[in-house]
Amino acid sequence: MSKVLMKGNEALGEAAIRAGCVHFFGYPITPQTEIPEYLCKRLPEVGGVFLQAESEVAAIHMVYGAAGAGVKCMTSSSSPGISLMAEGMSYLAACELPCVVINMMRAGPGLGGILPAQSDYFQATRGHGHGDYQCIVLAPASVQEAVDLMTLAFDLAEKYRNPVMVCADGMIGQMMEPVEFRSEGRGPPMAGNDWALTGCEGRPRRIVNSLHLAPEQNFAYNVRLKEKYDRAAREEVRFELYGDGRPDVLVVAFGTMARISKSAIDDLRREGRRVALFRPITLNPWPYAQCRAAMDAMPEGAKVLDVEMSMGQMIYDVKLAAEGTRTIEFLGKAGGLVPSPDEVAARIRALLP
Amino acid sequence: MGHIAIEQVRCKGCGRCVVACPKNLIEYGTELNERGYAYVIFKGSPEQCGGCTLCAVSCPDQGIEVYNSRDRKVFVNTTGLTEVMTHYCPGCTHGVVHRLVAEVLEEMGLLGRTIGIAPVGCSVLAYEYFNFDMFEAAHGRAPAVATGAKRARPDRIVFTYQGDGDLASIGGNEILHAANRGEKITVIFLNNAIYGMTGGQMAPTTMPGQKTTTTPFGRDTADTGQPLRVAEMLATLATPAFIARGTSHDAKGTLKTRKLIKEAFEHQAANRCFSFVEVLSTCPTNWGLSPNEASDWVEETMIPYYPLGILKRPAPEAVKA
Amino acid sequence: MKATNVLMAGFGGQGMLLAGKVLAQAAMAKGLQVSWLPSYGPEMRGGTANVIVCISRDPIASPLVTRPDVLLAMNLPSLDRFERSVVPGGTIVVNGTLVAREASRADCRVVRVDSRALAQAAGNERAANFVMLGAYVGATGVLPEEAVEEAIADEFRDGKEKHIDTNLAAFRAGAAAGRRAAAASEVHA
Repeated sequence: MSKVLMKGNEALGEAAIRAGCVHFFGYPITPQTEIPEYLCKRLPEVGGVFLQAESEVAAIHMVYGAAGAGVKCMTSSSSPGISLMAEGMSYLAACELPCVVINMMRAGPGLGGILPAQSDYFQATRGHGHGDYQCIVLAPASVQEAVDLMTLAFDLAEKYRNPVMVCADGMIGQMMEPVEFRSEGRGPPMAGNDWALTGCEGRPRRIVNSLHLAPEQNFAYNVRLKEKYDRAAREEVRFELYGDGRPDVLVVAFGTMARISKSAIDDLRREGRRVALFRPITLNPWPYAQCRAAMDAMPEGAKVLDVEMSMGQMIYDVKLAAEGTRTIEFLGKAGGLVPSPDEVAARIRALLP
Repeated sequence: MGHIAIEQVRCKGCGRCVVACPKNLIEYGTELNERGYAYVIFKGSPEQCGGCTLCAVSCPDQGIEVYNSRDRKVFVNTTGLTEVMTHYCPGCTHGVVHRLVAEVLEEMGLLGRTIGIAPVGCSVLAYEYFNFDMFEAAHGRAPAVATGAKRARPDRIVFTYQGDGDLASIGGNEILHAANRGEKITVIFLNNAIYGMTGGQMAPTTMPGQKTTTTPFGRDTADTGQPLRVAEMLATLATPAFIARGTSHDAKGTLKTRKLIKEAFEHQAANRCFSFVEVLSTCPTNWGLSPNEASDWVEETMIPYYPLGILKRPAPEAVKA
Repeated sequence: MKATNVLMAGFGGQGMLLAGKVLAQAAMAKGLQVSWLPSYGPEMRGGTANVIVCISRDPIASPLVTRPDVLLAMNLPSLDRFERSVVPGGTIVVNGTLVAREASRADCRVVRVDSRALAQAAGNERAANFVMLGAYVGATGVLPEEAVEEAIADEFRDGKEKHIDTNLAAFRAGAAAGRRAAAASEVHA
């Protein structure tokens, strides 16, 4: 299939349709508005449903309704809007309803700014709303990867009956890159299941519910959810290791920041420096063991540099991976500023032996 | 003539049937059933009972069946409700309205095609009582959940069942916009002028001067505003809709409300418009009244402020469109 | 081919984002890797708008570039802000219509075009962006001119065909000026 030059947001919209999503509920917010703008034109062409909700709160609960009725559905938003969706995310996870939520992260906190950031890492990986639930979180570093991960997102959502978040930033949403869609037309609908509410004609009635007042029953239910998250942690971890196999500096970064770090790493490797990048693609489950293995391959005294478009959030996971065996250095900017390849290179240089 | 069968274990002794019977053939009992309620007793003879069914119509607990002179059941409990006994307080009319909805759906042959949405509040457990596919929604979000379900399954009947805290307070935005979009859903709105589940706080629909745990000196409208007339508010929207208000406090009003609920579902079944039925209901526990005093309070205090009737019907041309 | 990073900057509405898209489209059609990263901050509304286009044989790592190889400066604020960031030996295309001062980088190739006059002559006053793009392509030969012309024509398909000819004419006028500037040691076109 030939490549087309597309904006990240629009490519994500198209990718959702190719993945079989035909129901979108959302509310405008920069820098993701091109997703609903694209889908409002495109979904009717494939017999889908586009609805602009009155708020993000309503949008996520429309997703809850549609997902519970057994259709592939999604919403998209950016940081402040995701905060408003926190409630619904908890309900979706609690009722084990599959859906995809895109967060095109922008600078925070509060109203923040509309420029790219990775400051919603905690929010994405540590839960948005209340309760012991988790989301699978995928972090693309290019428009093509965003497209590919959308298909994966819908597959995982269905496989685990869980919301899946695609966590990108404004830069991925706004930039254009060549993309190739690996499938034609509208993707398959949700597979047959024994839980969706479709009217109980000819079968026992079903309930989508998250109220479990008896503590023993609620505990058992939490245990079952945890087992599911543990299975995802065993089976769904994805990452990229790039550069030198025995680096003097290992950069850990995700999404846009990983890409920018790659430029710095390329420059330094051309100079003969031994540097590498570890890039988690699944932010949850996080590739702890794989990152640790990359650290263990480093020479004595070699440094790890965590780089983020935030004040330091993923660094806690990097530290968990290191389990005290390495010192973790940090480079980060927030507020819409992005560390440049030169800044990353300069910092790596300072850490090299 | 006729007779009735009272299922003792279901009876909470609220006495709504005692008042409803035009011939005073039911009386309060003194014996307790296994749940600790003093169940009512039928003291009449078949010659006296006319089989009018008003006792069963008033019963919130599916506890009465009515037979005619040929021993044929003339009031049959609906299969649209499960056998589960509700957690509602004695004399609360949630059970009555549940039954009306279930009866109408059964009568229209829609039980197998219906998706219901329970709210947060006293009727949070409605999914245990309605005998078809049910969602439990987050507080106030039922109209959004219904929107999602209906857009996903346009050929199904989707309704929400919400109380006044859920619909008029925290869910004010969701109901407004679902109505304004003209979602082809049905909303059953129970207005009992108070927060029941949390123990009797002020609701947007609480009456002026009404004492609640958060308006201990009576609702001061200068401070907290006037009671919200949701049906009137939604009726101002230009979008075509069926908007009505009924009551469940007495048998006569309940029978009229049944007609309103039926018309609401008929509009949905014809894919015509958004439909909304507000139903005035009782909260004896949090009002601090006996069940029958509570019914009187609806009559004397609520109905003058919340008039009954149909506020809006889709215009014929809109019906065609 | 070494990666080429092009920063195109101007007032919002001057069409630099579109010119950048055409450049990326043309490079992609020639089998190259591309990225197109716009500024989308508050400055978009009535202020300056810029876009970074990266063109490379290899996969593009960072689409964010702080030291571009090429600067297309449509107005004075863009030249003031970005002139110093261009790599030594790079190319700066200055819109002579709006920028009165000379570029101050002796270590760069500077091409100066009166984009408005050339666009007007091509029959489309609004095509100054393609004059600038033409000047860059003509001066550097970064891509075959026909590839860019094809991308311009593609951009105006689907109901906007009537603009194709004038935009192509503007691009060609710019390209001719760019070629002349490159040929001459004298860089004023």
